[in-house]
Amino acid sequence: MVELVPTLLRQELARLAEDDLRLDGRGRWEGREVTLETDCLYNAEGSAKVVMGGTIVYAGVKFELRTPWPDRPAQGSLMCGAELRPVAHRKYEPGPPSPQSIELGRVVDRGIRESGCIDMESLCIVPGEKVWGVMIDIHVLSDGGNIFDACGLAAIAALRTAIVPAQRFDVGEDYTLKVKGTPIMASFTRVGGRYVYDPSEEEELGGDERIHITLGDEGHLHSLQKGLRGVFTPAEFAEIFEVAHLRCTELRELVANQEGN
Amino acid sequence: MGGYGDVQLLRDDGLRLDGRKLDEMRPVTIEAGVLPAADGSAMVTHGLNVAVAAVYGPMEAHPRKIQRQDRAVIDVRYNMAPFSTSDRIRPGYNRRSREISKVTAEALESVVLVERYPRSKIRVEIEILAAEAGTRCAGITAAAVALADAGIPMRDLIVGVASGKVEDTVVLDLDKAEDNYGQADLPVGILPNTGEIAFLQMDGDLSPDEYNLAMEYNFKAAAEIHEIMVDALKRRYEGGEN
Repeated sequence: MVELVPTLLRQELARLAEDDLRLDGRGRWEGREVTLETDCLYNAEGSAKVVMGGTIVYAGVKFELRTPWPDRPAQGSLMCGAELRPVAHRKYEPGPPSPQSIELGRVVDRGIRESGCIDMESLCIVPGEKVWGVMIDIHVLSDGGNIFDACGLAAIAALRTAIVPAQRFDVGEDYTLKVKGTPIMASFTRVGGRYVYDPSEEEELGGDERIHITLGDEGHLHSLQKGLRGVFTPAEFAEIFEVAHLRCTELRELVANQEGN
Repeated sequence: MGGYGDVQLLRDDGLRLDGRKLDEMRPVTIEAGVLPAADGSAMVTHGLNVAVAAVYGPMEAHPRKIQRQDRAVIDVRYNMAPFSTSDRIRPGYNRRSREISKVTAEALESVVLVERYPRSKIRVEIEILAAEAGTRCAGITAAAVALADAGIPMRDLIVGVASGKVEDTVVLDLDKAEDNYGQADLPVGILPNTGEIAFLQMDGDLSPDEYNLAMEYNFKAAAEIHEIMVDALKRRYEGGEN
């Protein structure tokens, strides 16, 4: 990376921040337009596409029959992984999963898992012998900033449309996966010294640390993550937490409306 | 090929299981410029296949040992998304995707004017989001449109198409059942204007006559897909957007 561009960008972002402005004209707590499409991938048992400004993300759900973990004989499993493949940006290199893509997948995974929206016992077919493994794979096709929120939204929307392919595996009739709740993530990056919601590509390049908050239907916290170098105060967190609550509610409605169609 | 068993692939009326004629291809749609982060991109749907290609570059080629003093190198990665097939695919490179990436790169190096960009690299990323037989061809078509979208000079476009044989009959553009239970598959990359071939693979069993007919079908389909490619590129730049 050439340091020159981020340095100049950083100065420009700091100058804009003095007047509480953003590079693309948005308000500090304003997100980009989000479009959500579900059931868009043939062969995936549940799928979603999210477009957020220049960011494009797909998520697909697949099921596997497996033997349960010995300590949890009556529970199925959930796994969520993200791939930051070189298709998504010139900054991504080929090779084994990078620390960034592992962090991304695990943060999304925690938000969904810890919200309890999937009842692991409902994934059991024969205790001790046969359970469903649910795999959510997230594919980032274009990184235009804030891939965390796009990935979180695609993952839960895909999961909520998933059909359990019981017939194909000879264990009964297909049925809709039961998902209680819609955990949603909201991400903030420090830009020009203060936090903004839904950072763009440029704001991430010229910004500092980021905070990801995943909230459940009742407004409870299910996953938190601070990434990159930097510190924040409790007062700053209180401020973004309130914004997260509002934005998560809006996105949850978007998911519900999509399902209503 | 999966072998010629008891599976009936042609109906009594002579049409194929999905109602297509022997020399009829599946519907194809193409959109150029679909990925904002890429220098050039395209999405191709071919039947139920969905292929997305992104192009980055030309850029500095490194590690340095891959540099060519007189031309650019094209670095292709063909990858199937874990959810693109009936059974989930473990993420990561495998032998099949490595081979397809290699021969696709060599095909693209045959059409791109690589001598214009010495010591540089052009990255082509092909992602298969949904697979139903014929993904490498859809990927080649997508890569060609993405390269053109990136403004990279080429001698011609390149179109990926395939023909094959089912129940001792040559057919154009095998679908999943025909690919699994058919007797031969002949995927090619055709330069529609010059009539040359830059990509060729085949497996199964074809007589010389069957090969000629299959290739005839491929050229016919390539001409049809070429029009759709050109149309996609025109729409991208006539629309006034970017």
